[in-house]
Amino acid sequence: MAHQLSIFVENSPGKLERITKILADEKLNVRGICLANAGEFGIVKIIVDDPDKAYDKLKEHHFTVSKRNIIAVRIDDKSGSLCNLLTILSSNKINIEDCYGVSVAYNNSAAIIIEVEKYPDVESVLKKNNIETLTDKEVYSI
Amino acid sequence: MYWEKDIETLSFEKLKEYQLIKLKETIFQSKKSEYYGKKLKDIDSSSINSISDISNLPFTTKQDMRDNFPYGFLTVPLDDVVRLHSSSGTTGNPTVVYHSKQDLDEWTNLVARCMYMVGVRKSDVFQNIMGYGLFTGGIGFHYGAEKLGVLTIPIGPGNSKRQIWFLKEFQVTTIHILPSYALRLYTFFEELGVDPKKDLKLKTAFIGSEPHSEEIRKKIELLYGLKAYNSYGLSEMNGPGVAFECQYQDGLHVWEDNFYIEIIDPDTGKVLPDGEEGELVITTLKRDAMPLIRYRTKDLTKIIPEKCKCGRTHRRIDRIKGRSDDMLIINGVNIFPVQIEKTIMKVPEVGDNYIIELKKENFMDKVFVKIEINENTFHGTLNEIEKLQKKITEELKSELGINPVVKFVESGSLPQSEGKAVRVYDLRNK
Ligand SMILES: [Zn+2]
Repeated sequence: MAHQLSIFVENSPGKLERITKILADEKLNVRGICLANAGEFGIVKIIVDDPDKAYDKLKEHHFTVSKRNIIAVRIDDKSGSLCNLLTILSSNKINIEDCYGVSVAYNNSAAIIIEVEKYPDVESVLKKNNIETLTDKEVYSI
Repeated sequence: MYWEKDIETLSFEKLKEYQLIKLKETIFQSKKSEYYGKKLKDIDSSSINSISDISNLPFTTKQDMRDNFPYGFLTVPLDDVVRLHSSSGTTGNPTVVYHSKQDLDEWTNLVARCMYMVGVRKSDVFQNIMGYGLFTGGIGFHYGAEKLGVLTIPIGPGNSKRQIWFLKEFQVTTIHILPSYALRLYTFFEELGVDPKKDLKLKTAFIGSEPHSEEIRKKIELLYGLKAYNSYGLSEMNGPGVAFECQYQDGLHVWEDNFYIEIIDPDTGKVLPDGEEGELVITTLKRDAMPLIRYRTKDLTKIIPEKCKCGRTHRRIDRIKGRSDDMLIINGVNIFPVQIEKTIMKVPEVGDNYIIELKKENFMDKVFVKIEINENTFHGTLNEIEKLQKKITEELKSELGINPVVKFVESGSLPQSEGKAVRVYDLRNK
């Protein structure tokens, strides 16, 4: 299971910069980043090549951070494929908590990062429907 | 389990008789001072026939003490005074309290009585994390602990890593600490790889000097795996050792052989019956160098009339609800900061540090509660934080009738102090 880091941040200038600086100083490579905003604070989601190390480093700098399970799904880079994936999940009553695309072109396909409630059910559901997921290694080196 | 069984379990009637004798002595003694000499010149202690006649005597306030700075309340020659304690007094005269040798012995004995009551013995090791100096908290406990024969570490507050090193290295069993600092100190343990429950031998904490809620006490007990006892005192009445919880942690026994207590309506000055809430008024019964008669503490509480299971006859007061000075009037509603604390601390996902800000918006008072996010319960979703905000807002609305704006902030971002925690920022007149 791959992980992303969720970091609580207050919305003030320079916050993202501080986080990325900490990671850069440790030679950690950010593979995907996404900010969910709720007015005065938000959650920064980061995919990084070594999430455990990044987690420890951010904690050391007193960030409130949590590791979350994610699944990276490979979908064909053509219209309707995202819709197809979402249909499969919803017809299996799997709620998506969050979802974002990290790479427009990955071997001519797109990668979609999803966070869902039901692990590991989701993996078997996807397998059954011939949807390909990325290995941890692939995720961290997207 | 009694330090002085005869006194602690003296029958109610005997206690009243004893107090009457002591009150008469106190009036006699107090009249040697310039202030009471004038104030009580028409009071003859033979006209006092029962302890409740005390209600005919005038109150003494902090302002009276300031106005009669420096020696207006002193009843003995300065040569017989061996120590003074003083409020910080950044504006105007400070309030100064003078102690003779006898006063210090009495005070020390009361603190020893308090500590013994909850099981502190010679074999214990005591780390005194409270401030020393003009502040009475640290020094009061220091001498009490030494009188008990306890190994005492006079470390004072601050330098959290060193605190933890001492706690571990000397297998400390007992601490005296500000409740807000106890919560803050806890955040340093993980980094040092010390588990307070496994690696330490702590069993007793004395917490006081700050109004705090029952929820904060429970939190401290849970985090450290110890029993935390509420301590009440004020420098005008020596300092710590005025009232103290026994092993049942259900109200604080006031040492009535040393202090006569009344609860009054703060507006009218009328004495209220036991069980009713009002301002605590204290008369010293054994003070030598500086007796105080009917001193208005401004602390709000009530007397618990029921007998305590521990067998002590000295009446208990309830946890201090707040100081009348601290009361906030928010759109006409009276609220104490500690009530807000109680409500937010009931929510387990809340961190330990919070502040309350009051501002004016469109001529209305607006309450902002800023709470540090709790690292240990954060799961990484926006949803959970929004839910939590909503929950706390609803709780405050339904319990206190205020409509606050609850904001989560990053952990460590609110001001921290090693002294008394500053929780309320009233920006309404700025
Ligand atoms: Zn008791």
